[in-house]
Amino acid sequence: MLLCGCNLHPAAKRSGLLVAAIASDPGHLNPAITTNGGVHTASDLLYNGLVGLNSKAEPVPELAERWEVEEGGAVYRFHLRPNVRWHDGRPFTSADVKYTFDEVLLRFHARARASLSPALSAVETPDAMTVVFRFKRPYAPFLQQLDVVEAPILPKHLFEGTDPLKNPVNLAPVGTGPFRFVAYAPGAEIRYRVNPDYFGPKPELSDLVLRVIPDRGTQVMALEAGEVDWLFGVPGPLRSTLRRNPSIRFLQTSLSPGGSDCITTLAFNLDRPSLSDARVRRAIAHGLDRRLFLERVTFGEGRAAETSISSMIAFAHANDLKAPAYDPGEARRLMAAAEKGRIKLGFTFFPTDAEYGNLLRAQLAEVGIDVELHALEAPVLVQAVFVQRDFDIALIPYCNGTDPEIGVRRMFVSSSIAPVPFSNAAGYRSAEMDSLFEKAASSLDPKERGRIYHRIQELALEDLPYLPLIETENTRAYSARCEGFVSSSHFAAAARCGP
Amino acid sequence: MRGLREFVALRRRRTLRTVSARYLAARLLQIVPSCAAVVVVAFLLIQLAPGDPVLALAGEHGDPAYYAFMRQRFGLDQPLPRQLATYCIRVASLDFGVSYVQGRPAAEMIAERVPATLVLTTTALLLSLLVAIPLGILAGRRPHGAADFAVSALTVAFQSTPSFLLAHLAILGLALGLGLFPVQGMTTAGSPGSGLKHFVDIAYHLILPALVLASQEVAVLARLTRTGLVSELDSDHVRTARAKGLVERVVLWRHAMPQVLLSLVTVIGARAGHLLAGAAVVEIVFGWPGLGRLMLTGLQTRDTPVLLGVFFVISLAVIFANLLTDLLYAALDPRVRYR
Repeated sequence: MLLCGCNLHPAAKRSGLLVAAIASDPGHLNPAITTNGGVHTASDLLYNGLVGLNSKAEPVPELAERWEVEEGGAVYRFHLRPNVRWHDGRPFTSADVKYTFDEVLLRFHARARASLSPALSAVETPDAMTVVFRFKRPYAPFLQQLDVVEAPILPKHLFEGTDPLKNPVNLAPVGTGPFRFVAYAPGAEIRYRVNPDYFGPKPELSDLVLRVIPDRGTQVMALEAGEVDWLFGVPGPLRSTLRRNPSIRFLQTSLSPGGSDCITTLAFNLDRPSLSDARVRRAIAHGLDRRLFLERVTFGEGRAAETSISSMIAFAHANDLKAPAYDPGEARRLMAAAEKGRIKLGFTFFPTDAEYGNLLRAQLAEVGIDVELHALEAPVLVQAVFVQRDFDIALIPYCNGTDPEIGVRRMFVSSSIAPVPFSNAAGYRSAEMDSLFEKAASSLDPKERGRIYHRIQELALEDLPYLPLIETENTRAYSARCEGFVSSSHFAAAARCGP
Repeated sequence: MRGLREFVALRRRRTLRTVSARYLAARLLQIVPSCAAVVVVAFLLIQLAPGDPVLALAGEHGDPAYYAFMRQRFGLDQPLPRQLATYCIRVASLDFGVSYVQGRPAAEMIAERVPATLVLTTTALLLSLLVAIPLGILAGRRPHGAADFAVSALTVAFQSTPSFLLAHLAILGLALGLGLFPVQGMTTAGSPGSGLKHFVDIAYHLILPALVLASQEVAVLARLTRTGLVSELDSDHVRTARAKGLVERVVLWRHAMPQVLLSLVTVIGARAGHLLAGAAVVEIVFGWPGLGRLMLTGLQTRDTPVLLGVFFVISLAVIFANLLTDLLYAALDPRVRYR
């Protein structure tokens, strides 16, 4: 067996093949019925949205060639790109867009359903190459919600009349995207081939394989051994060793599979007597050194967050605002003023965030708060925090998306205090905050919206229902024999691999 | 080795005489209540565990109407006794329901993964026997000698190293360091392959994970062989055999080893569950697409139909392993008769 090992060794690959590691088996490949990051990572390359988002998160033509915004933002008219074909050869038309929105996205894609269904009144198709979206009132963030992550378009001819959750096409997808589906070996790998008829720039790769490797350490070793060419993330402690390897390159991005521009945030449960006191919340904020979290937990990846809107959303992020600075003396003074003595609080977090817990406990002990750690796995945490509201402080990675409407609004408006994952965990209610978000959503002028979001961030730091800790970043790592990657979900569309 | 072959042939002839058809039928019938108990207990345990499949499925966002809609689709809005009854009736016809996540039959998803786990565990078991018995004999024939000391050091090291750590060390040293084996997977990436080439490819990917999985079994079985042999070699019937002037090979295989192998068989059967649990860890580290991995994903997404199906299959495997142990026992021990 060792004899044939030499020519069998997986590192001996032909050029034109890219092997990327993914951590979990996606289960199916239909990005329109879920917001699950694993499914999107494995299926977005097969599909397109009406628009794409460039590296500055600005909308660029994809399935729509151009568009007009009418009636002050209440009507969006898209002119579709002609001669686009599905991977099975059938032409792409406006009927596909209408079907996908009405029958799939607005029913099953949790983000599209939550944000668009209350606002959208109708999807119309005046002709085969035009789609019109009518809203009940002006709706500003729509163009940010049409990329392949938020609104992938499915082929009507393969889905109509079926149950989209059980359609066999979910396991043998037919899209319009830069890659075509070849085979799915459950738990092992998914194989793709380049789409020679792609309307965009043709990928220079010939084949792509997404390989399921659950263990992050094994992923890194597979990259070093040359069995894998691309990793979506590298664990902190392994990053520095990998950086010394001359045959590995890196790409930093704020995009993570679950969403983009995420801020690891402390949510204070305002229903708890001790935390309903603003002085206690402020004391906690002053008691934490956010730079230390950056240093010890994320190993320098990302940056200390100052407000709840990511610095990646340039028009909305307030550069001049700062979260309470590290000042244990001030924290102790505030705790004394709150006259509660030494208090005890629970801290709830995902098991992967255990290091945040250890550091938080050590720092808060200094200012008179004893922290009890509760590591809960994802389905349990979501239930404990958002449904049962049984927590004191929770660590939640809130992803902003490319517009504050997508990921920030849900944290602050009172209508989103509901048993829904990643909603208003704090249970924060403020009439001023609610009306500010209403105004921001219906204005189309970025400057005007920027002013409103500035006030929103100011108010959030005054009331402090949340403490933003770290704006997280991800490190993609890839073999030096390949180049031309981007951080978006079409990461390999322009990639090239040498021998 | 010839002694061993004779010994096995002798015992095989014996099986037919010592196990009656009635006994076998009764044992097979016992599987039914065991399985029913497993189904009911597993179902209730999953209901008791916190975490809601619909919340896990929704990912971010969603609204109460969406949850109600999804609950209804999966029948999760029904009262618990009715859900249990529906589930039991389905399982009786070997229908494990439809996966919440993938929307296809759970039985199909499980069946896809069984071969990978079966190949991994049986190879590991065979490897561990091939290594453990000679090691145990080596150590047991001269107790407290140098070989005994070396074997015991080795087995203690294997047994006390957690398998995920051993797996990483093996990859680091043998795959990444020396380049002898691939780091991960069951086949070379992107090569669907077929025939002999495919077989060789799988075998090449199998060696390292199977070695790691075997190591813990080796530790247990070698120590057991050694202890058993030491006490057997000190027993009266071995002393008598030696006094008769039999050569050491015959003493070992005809008189001492049968008893030792008997205790090994019992332990191997009882360790079937342990082996499958170890396989789950090895599958995760090596990216081996088996049942353990499916169970982990099912747990993370609260995909109850898949999870229950995996529990069922694993329980069935353990039950059959135990049945097989009892039958083997009858074949090996002339005093045991099942009527």
